[in-house]
Amino acid sequence: MIVPLAHVLVLAAILFGLGLVCTLVWRSNVIMLLIGIEIMLNAAMLVFVGGSNHWGAADGQVFALVIMAMTSAEVSLALALVVYLHRRKNTVDVDEFRELRD
Amino acid sequence: MYGDCYPDMETYLFYILAAVAVIGTILAITEKHPVHAIVYLVSSFFSLATIFFLLAAPLIAMFEVIIYAGAVMVLFMFVIMMLDLGRTDEAGRPVLKQWLLPILLGGIILASIGVIAAGYASAPSAPGAITVRDFALTLFRKYGVAVEIISMQLLFAVVGALYLGRRRTP
Amino acid sequence: MKTYLELIILLPLLGGIVNALLGGRLLPRRASEFLACAVIWGSFAATVAAALAYKAQTSVEIATWLSDFDFKAPLTLYLDPLSLSLCLMITFVCALIHTYAVGYMKEDPSYVRFFALLNLFVAAMLLLVLAENLPLLYLGWEGVGFCSYALIGFWYTDPKNATAGRKAFIVTRIGDTGLGIAVVWLFELLGTESIPHLNQMGHLLPTGIVTALGLLLLLAAMGKSAQVPLMVWLPDAMAGPTPVSAQIHAATMVTAGVYLLMRMFPLIGTSPTVVAAIAITGAVTAFYGASCAVVQRDLKRILAYSTISQIGYMMMGVGAGAITASTFHLLVHAFFKALLFLGAGCVITAMHHEQDIFRMGGLRRTLPGTFWPFLAGALCLAGVPLTGGFFSKDGILGAVWLKGGMLYGGLYVAGLITALITAFYTFRMVLIVFGGEIPLNPPFIKGEVKTLPRIMEWPLIPLALLGLFGGLLNLPEYLGNGFLHSFLAQPGGNEQALPHTTELLLQGVAAVVAVTGIVAAWLRYGGERRVKSLAKEQQPASGIAAFLLEGWRLDALYDLLIVRPYTRLSSFLWQKLDEGVVDDSLDRTAALFGRCGRWIGSRGQGRVSLSLLGMAVGAALTLFWLAWVVL
Repeated sequence: MIVPLAHVLVLAAILFGLGLVCTLVWRSNVIMLLIGIEIMLNAAMLVFVGGSNHWGAADGQVFALVIMAMTSAEVSLALALVVYLHRRKNTVDVDEFRELRD
Repeated sequence: MYGDCYPDMETYLFYILAAVAVIGTILAITEKHPVHAIVYLVSSFFSLATIFFLLAAPLIAMFEVIIYAGAVMVLFMFVIMMLDLGRTDEAGRPVLKQWLLPILLGGIILASIGVIAAGYASAPSAPGAITVRDFALTLFRKYGVAVEIISMQLLFAVVGALYLGRRRTP
Repeated sequence: MKTYLELIILLPLLGGIVNALLGGRLLPRRASEFLACAVIWGSFAATVAAALAYKAQTSVEIATWLSDFDFKAPLTLYLDPLSLSLCLMITFVCALIHTYAVGYMKEDPSYVRFFALLNLFVAAMLLLVLAENLPLLYLGWEGVGFCSYALIGFWYTDPKNATAGRKAFIVTRIGDTGLGIAVVWLFELLGTESIPHLNQMGHLLPTGIVTALGLLLLLAAMGKSAQVPLMVWLPDAMAGPTPVSAQIHAATMVTAGVYLLMRMFPLIGTSPTVVAAIAITGAVTAFYGASCAVVQRDLKRILAYSTISQIGYMMMGVGAGAITASTFHLLVHAFFKALLFLGAGCVITAMHHEQDIFRMGGLRRTLPGTFWPFLAGALCLAGVPLTGGFFSKDGILGAVWLKGGMLYGGLYVAGLITALITAFYTFRMVLIVFGGEIPLNPPFIKGEVKTLPRIMEWPLIPLALLGLFGGLLNLPEYLGNGFLHSFLAQPGGNEQALPHTTELLLQGVAAVVAVTGIVAAWLRYGGERRVKSLAKEQQPASGIAAFLLEGWRLDALYDLLIVRPYTRLSSFLWQKLDEGVVDDSLDRTAALFGRCGRWIGSRGQGRVSLSLLGMAVGAALTLFWLAWVVL
């Protein structure tokens, strides 16, 4: 172990916080919002890999891989949705999509 | 190799890469130009991949580069170009007032996690590096069902993306 | 023997399946018709071969079927004199009817469905007759019921026909319930379903249970054989094509109930209550059918009521314990009633599907090829001496007489009166349809008399011969012992023979009765008086005639007693209970949730960013609390 686990966790927490801030701030651009989600997922992966290294078990890496596969599925669907919504409303502003209310 | 040992090259490298990742991410989320943001993010992901390598996960590091920094970010880029969002949009950029609450929340979360992580008594780590062989055995023996489910999920995503992306003839 | 038995059933089944699958598209019409007839003739040939090779009762296991724990119902066929003689009759009569149907259905476009169902029916009927155990018999029983339903409603585009099919199906179902209960109960009581075994084990059961079982089986027979009170479906069943009426509703299927009682008689015959109930049912039915037939105007309905009446005779025979006489009547009746139906089909075809006998007349000259066989059939039905019908009917009446006592004496008188009415209505029909002159006013509405294809007329001849000389099968004892009698005599059978003088006397009485009936019919409808009587009868029926015309108004009674309360109950359950309570409560619950959702939706902002912010606040609070706990 090159660094204590706590340091890895703190790094992951910082990245997660940044991703969260990105998600909350960029309500005018749904693409940036998705990027924020990617950052948060990366932080989660970092926690898994760090744990895997800390306990010497491969499970954490497996979960990291699963997260990655899940992310690629999520991104492809989300971006397809963005394209579809943009085609309908000609905007990427998140707050414009509020059909759920009515 | 532990904290009280003399820090070697890899430890320094970790902190340097961590700093690069954090700075890259900060720049990415504050950048008003989406294409630039993507480029910053890619550099951040590269340093994160190297961190994975240092944490004895070469396979994940490789995938991080190929899938995240490669495929996913390129996909973002594609969509940005396709929707013609690749220009600076001052009006859409959040003003300072909008940053306050998210940063406050992010700070609370960060502080909480930091407190919890610091209070965490580090258990002794098991020796022995994780080889790719271990990884493969765990993946396909222990989590074989997960592999199947994930592959199905990818298939559904493909079908869904095809459905959403097809041209409608109104 | 095994091959023969397999062939008997498999050939019609194969014909039905091949016709159903390949007919119409792959097979030309001629091939389809040829196949349908050929399989039945083949089945007849196999039956003849089986009869020639027959030595003693055999049961042949073909395959296993139902088998679970100690419940076993294999596909076993059982050949004994009873089933053998019935099989011979069924295959022969059905083969003739199939051949006839080729001519009758010449212009019908759905001949494939017709022949496939007809073949399937024969297979099911043979299975019923040959079955060794009750579940197999039940399979055949339901098979014939289904084919009957499908063939009554054959011209289903007319709702009247479809309704008739449904009526037949539902009414017979009431009886089938009885059979179903009896089948299961017998297994529960005796642990076997094999009919020969069951018949031997009858003495193990207390009389009360035997009585209950016998009444259940009688209920089944009532439904299938159209006995009082479940006979209302048979007159309506005439909506089907005439070959169907001849094959299913005269010769074979309707006698299945009688066959069932004969089959199980060693078991149920030990209960005097059951025997008396069977005899009374038979006598009442015989009288009912005959009385209704007197006033009917529809040619096929006359024959239908007459079938009900004749099956009543068979039941009466069973009730008197005279299995042989009953079987004899069953066989002879199948011949002459099939003949009459086929003849009626000829008449109806020639008259362009006119069925009202008052619009017919003088056909003896225009349709001689139909008239003479029809007359032979009528003579048999009326029980004119020396015809087959005379001997068979007399056998039953003699057996009833032999039983003696108040009850059977009364039944004998009822049978005799019925015979008188039978002779009367038979010759009323013959004289109106074939006698007199061709009515000019009104003339034949639907055009000139059609010439019939020869394939429709020649099957009548062997049936006429069999009907007329069927008596030779079972001559009374004073003329040398009957063939059937010795053939059917079951070991341990308790059928006594009448003294010769008594028998001669009874036959004399029966002959006098028959001739009286014919003379009465002649006096009313023959020669000069025909026109006057017809004019009188063509008025709308009133009083007792209307009562008889509508079959004792039983349809109306059942409608009042059963159908209408049932529909009312159903509509109550449907509209008040199901729609009013169940559906409505569900609808209201769903509407409530919908309203709640809409209310919440109208409170919210519907903004994604706000939701995200809320989520983040929640996460921050949770983590803060966790950190608080850790500290």
